[in-house]
Amino acid sequence: MKTILILLTFFTFTTITSQNSYEKGMSKAFELWGSQKPDEAINLFERIAKAEKENWIPYYYAAQVHIITTFGIKDAEEIESRLKKGQDFLNEARTFSKDNAEILIMEAMLNTAYVAYNPSVYGMTHSAKVEELYQRAKKLDPENPRATLNHAEWKMGSAKFWGKDPKAFCPEVEKAILYFEKEANNNIPFYPKWGMDQVTRIQQNCK
Amino acid sequence: MRRTLTLAFTLFTLLSNAQTTITGNVIDPSGTPIQGANIYLDGTYDGASSDENGSFSFATTETGIQTLIISFLSFETFYLTTELTKMSPLAITLKEDVNSLGSVILNAGTFAAGDNSKASVLTPLDIVTTAGSNGDYIAALQTLSGTSNVAEDGRLFVRGGDANETNVYIDGLRVFQPFSATANNIPTRGRFSSFLFEGTNFSTGGYSAEYGDALSSVLLLNTIDEPDQEKTDLQFINVGLGLGNTQKWKKNSLSVNAFYVNLKPYQDIIEQRVDWIKPFESLTGEAVYRHHFKSGTLKVYGGLTYTDFKLIQEDINTPEGINLNLKNRNLYLNTSYKGSLGNDWTITAGTSFANDHNDILFVTTDVTNNENSFHGKLKLRKRFSNRFKLNFGAEQFLTSFSEETENPDFGAFQTSYDNNSTALYTEANIFFSKKLALQTGIRGVHNTLLKYTKISPRASLAYKTTSKSQVSLAYGDFYQAPQQEVLKYNFDLEPEKSSHYILNYLYQNNGRTFRAEGYYKSYDGLIKYDTNSPMFNSVFNNNGDGYATGIDIFWRDNKSIKDLDYWVSYSYLDTKRDYRNYPDRATPNFAAKHNLSLVTKYWIGDWKSLLSTTYNFGSGRPYNNPNETLFQNQKTRTFNTLNFSWAYLISQQKILYFSVSNALGFDNVFNYQYANTPDSNGTFSRRAIRPTADRFFILGFFWTISDNKTDNQLDNL
Repeated sequence: MKTILILLTFFTFTTITSQNSYEKGMSKAFELWGSQKPDEAINLFERIAKAEKENWIPYYYAAQVHIITTFGIKDAEEIESRLKKGQDFLNEARTFSKDNAEILIMEAMLNTAYVAYNPSVYGMTHSAKVEELYQRAKKLDPENPRATLNHAEWKMGSAKFWGKDPKAFCPEVEKAILYFEKEANNNIPFYPKWGMDQVTRIQQNCK
Repeated sequence: MRRTLTLAFTLFTLLSNAQTTITGNVIDPSGTPIQGANIYLDGTYDGASSDENGSFSFATTETGIQTLIISFLSFETFYLTTELTKMSPLAITLKEDVNSLGSVILNAGTFAAGDNSKASVLTPLDIVTTAGSNGDYIAALQTLSGTSNVAEDGRLFVRGGDANETNVYIDGLRVFQPFSATANNIPTRGRFSSFLFEGTNFSTGGYSAEYGDALSSVLLLNTIDEPDQEKTDLQFINVGLGLGNTQKWKKNSLSVNAFYVNLKPYQDIIEQRVDWIKPFESLTGEAVYRHHFKSGTLKVYGGLTYTDFKLIQEDINTPEGINLNLKNRNLYLNTSYKGSLGNDWTITAGTSFANDHNDILFVTTDVTNNENSFHGKLKLRKRFSNRFKLNFGAEQFLTSFSEETENPDFGAFQTSYDNNSTALYTEANIFFSKKLALQTGIRGVHNTLLKYTKISPRASLAYKTTSKSQVSLAYGDFYQAPQQEVLKYNFDLEPEKSSHYILNYLYQNNGRTFRAEGYYKSYDGLIKYDTNSPMFNSVFNNNGDGYATGIDIFWRDNKSIKDLDYWVSYSYLDTKRDYRNYPDRATPNFAAKHNLSLVTKYWIGDWKSLLSTTYNFGSGRPYNNPNETLFQNQKTRTFNTLNFSWAYLISQQKILYFSVSNALGFDNVFNYQYANTPDSNGTFSRRAIRPTADRFFILGFFWTISDNKTDNQLDNL
């Protein structure tokens, strides 16, 4: 009897381990990203995505690391290939989760990265896409703090370009803060929650 | 008991967690270690990234036969399926992915303009913001090397070829009448609004076996797959009005566009050299519908144009001038489907249809003609691997033309023909490595009207010399059936033929592009006749021939000076041909020896303005003076024009636009018309053929209304 109990415990323990290997892997990937190893982080997110099957989250982060990385590099060829790869990951993510506001927000960021790196080539074509993506995201999830915040930042950027006052969008930032506070604690592990730490930087425009 | 259990427990743990370590090394084909490759067992979490020496090591608890995957940006993914214990140590050489950025491109003869094309030298936006183009994409292409500036015509003259030697395609299907109807020496424009297109491929020679029936060049335009957003565009211009609307729903989108042009108010203010009785008036309507299926896209394009004008053409032989009234109606429909069949097969199928109807009153002669044309095409593409792709396809062309001419003195005369042809082609793309690629194809065509069958080979080879530069070569034979003006009177002819030999050098580095292309083109079987122009009583033959050779240089730089983008094109052309009614080989009037264009675009952020200038230069153009003994041995003065445009963005969606062509008012002469008979002194008198006006002004207001308020019509200007 005891043996059975112990064996049972043991099996439960191993199943828990394997359940946790997703969380362990994801945590490890974030740790790699945090310790300036973006490519290793991307590789791990990609491995998890491939092993998990039908989970959009690791693909989402693999894309995000690529996108964020392009902000710090100058080499055009590298930027292009990272953004292309990022788009591939987001396309994969979308096959497992249609009409997902978070994926649309990330895609808007990806298009913003194109505009940021080469405004003369991508400014015209990709700006409209960015706007469209934020609007679709907000339609799906009207109180999404990331959609509200990043959209406000984007609009502040174009207001500055057009010689208008970016302060006009400060109420949007306030709204985003409210949404961050209200944001329901999602039970899905590693569900996107980032963004609150950007508020201070974006609010520089409101001073 | 406890001890046994502990033992069992430990054993179990050991057994179930028995680890295998996989180690190895990843290098590229040149032996350099690859850092950052992703190495993992398919379907598991087990894996690692390679370090700066290309080495990797990871442990796994899996057993048995597994698949190991190694992937890295711009390399082909590597798979190994075997017993886990046999996987260590591994020495893997990854193959370069020939589809990645930095691969060699098959570009000899081609100017590509598109967002994602690696060979792209221009973006679609560049084309339309070029000063002097006035929204006509054809006019902007005339600033690229390899074209001759023939400002009184407006069509494309490529490398010593006349305008009929260039064919235009939309989504792979033939456009039969790409240019608006016009009168002699009054420049035409492309019929289609530029905002419908997102990709342009302009080949100045050596083009793919997929296309035929053009001796010199093809222009390939692709319509937008998916518009970004719903919007309404309004255009108020001093010569017309435009309205456009785009709607999107589910998997569909529809764009409609209407444009009305009336030159009368403009010509009432600004004096013209042409004596207009009824100034140019036209109405164009266009619509594009797109539907996305699960694995393909259907596009339907329709365009309808009405043109009407009446003028008195100056003529040296007729002092009172020649009365011309022209009414044209043109309908064009184009349907295409592109999709995947699975298993790396792609299908493209489509049809285009055009009806062109002209009602012309030429002094007292009444000409009515009608042409129906059809093009059907089926193209299949199989991707065997990244390194080998095969295309093949079949095409059918049907043209039915009829014309009735009525003159009070000579009575009525009718002519008609059905010109049908069938073509088959196949083409292979082979990448030997990331550095060396070959495209080779063959095209066969059978024409039932002229009863000929012709086979033409095409080949192009490209080699990447450094990471920033490459050289390429192209060769091809091209056949073209005689034009309508000849087929009206004679079917007993062979097609005209040309052969192209092209050597191209391309250098691209971070916003700077240098492209040099040398070529030789031979012409054979050119149509000749014994009258001034083709007539019912002309004697025709295929005895003409000729050549064109030259060098085209293109330089573009948008990096060196902040906010300034410019390009320079220079073309050197040496050509002679014996065709039409030429007594022997001579350089035709359209072929200037030197052509130069300088295009600049300067963005002034503080003014929210895009200032654009275009300078065009052409050396003297040959013309024939019957007072001289030698044929075609005179040259006009040089051609110069400086165009200027200013787009001022009032707000994000409102643009004020001003442009002036030939701002400095250069007095240009294109050609001379001589009298048919000498005057009393025994000399032939002449008149100069000059622009209809020295300058042309456009003032416009463009307003886009959309929900998201970011789009504007800068790409329409």
